[in-house]
Amino acid sequence: MTLKKNILSLTAGLFVSIALLAQAQLPGMDKSPLDVCYYPLRYPNLKVQETVKEPPVARVLYSRPKKEGRPVFGGLVEYGKLWRLGANEATEIEFYRPVTIGGKKIPKGRYTLYAIVQEKDWTFIINRETDVWGTFKYDAAKDLVRVDAPVEQLNEPVEFLAMTFEKSDSGIDLVVAWEQTKVALPIAL
Amino acid sequence: MKGYFKQLAFAFIGTIAFACNQDDQSGASKTLQPRLPDSITSQKAEPEPNMFASVDVSPMDMSYFPVDYPKLKMANIKVAPPVARVIYSRPQLARRPLFNGIIKYGEPWRLGANEASEIQFYQPVRIQGKKINPGRYTIYGIPQPETWTIVLNSNVDTWGLKQDTTRDVARFEIPVVTNGASLEYFTMVFEKAENGANLVIAWADVVARLPLEF
Repeated sequence: MTLKKNILSLTAGLFVSIALLAQAQLPGMDKSPLDVCYYPLRYPNLKVQETVKEPPVARVLYSRPKKEGRPVFGGLVEYGKLWRLGANEATEIEFYRPVTIGGKKIPKGRYTLYAIVQEKDWTFIINRETDVWGTFKYDAAKDLVRVDAPVEQLNEPVEFLAMTFEKSDSGIDLVVAWEQTKVALPIAL
Repeated sequence: MKGYFKQLAFAFIGTIAFACNQDDQSGASKTLQPRLPDSITSQKAEPEPNMFASVDVSPMDMSYFPVDYPKLKMANIKVAPPVARVIYSRPQLARRPLFNGIIKYGEPWRLGANEASEIQFYQPVRIQGKKINPGRYTIYGIPQPETWTIVLNSNVDTWGLKQDTTRDVARFEIPVVTNGASLEYFTMVFEKAENGANLVIAWADVVARLPLEF
């Protein structure tokens, strides 16, 4: 009787393990979740509300690491080193129409966006090699343009890396903010 | 009963080992798992509002085929382009019933949250004999108890709550099975299959597979 019971519970346990293991192969939640930002802002919402007719201008897809009390710039993100501008996959920027960045015409399409961070300014890099992880595949020969942008100080700290677009005189700025730092990449339309 | 717990312990170790197998650029991977809220509305992804872009309770994720393609690319100098990727938001059950709770039978569902889920093919694929051209599509589903209808639609960059059926590109019926597991977060991922790959669509104890041939 006890043997039978033991076998039964063992079998049940085995099934639970199999179920859990099968589940384990599916991806868990990332601690630096992916996010998207469109210009016009909230474009997908505007589209279903039928308040926009024309295609979007740009979107950025990036993972959002969290500060968690760590020093970010000059710490987690080392000065002078290439940074994926996010976490996991390198940040991707897509233009739905030709744009001008740093005086250079960028055809519509998907690009990888990197940055080299310094205390006073950042260098943004638009590169044509897409679907890449981190900075490991970086090849400067595939750069389209490099642009320097000054660092602005924020009064309030930002916990998760954040990106948004803002309207500017010449087009839009891609605004990147984390810790107490804000930097804008001007995109002329 | 001892055997049962032993098995369970092994299973948990397995789960944890897999869960820790993720890349983290910082190295500090000891985030505390938040307790499940009573309802999704009480969930806060972030303690302080982010003045630029708040973090969503249903965070976005993406899956490639080949699985982990960007990592493969990192490790190999020469690697063929990817076949497909899906970008979707991941709602959680948060103790709600999935069917006739979050999802209703017979009604279109965005297969995610927020923006309409997007699938991109980098090369032509065949699904149930139909050729699908490379490009970006919106993907949504119409669940039924035994089968799901999966729809590819050409209306991209849109919010998931409204489908423009006039722009449906193809519809496929696929079987759905229950596997006894309970998956808290909605999950889409590719797996290798005999003639190509499957897009695995899983939530709660329900799994559906969309076969891609290429």
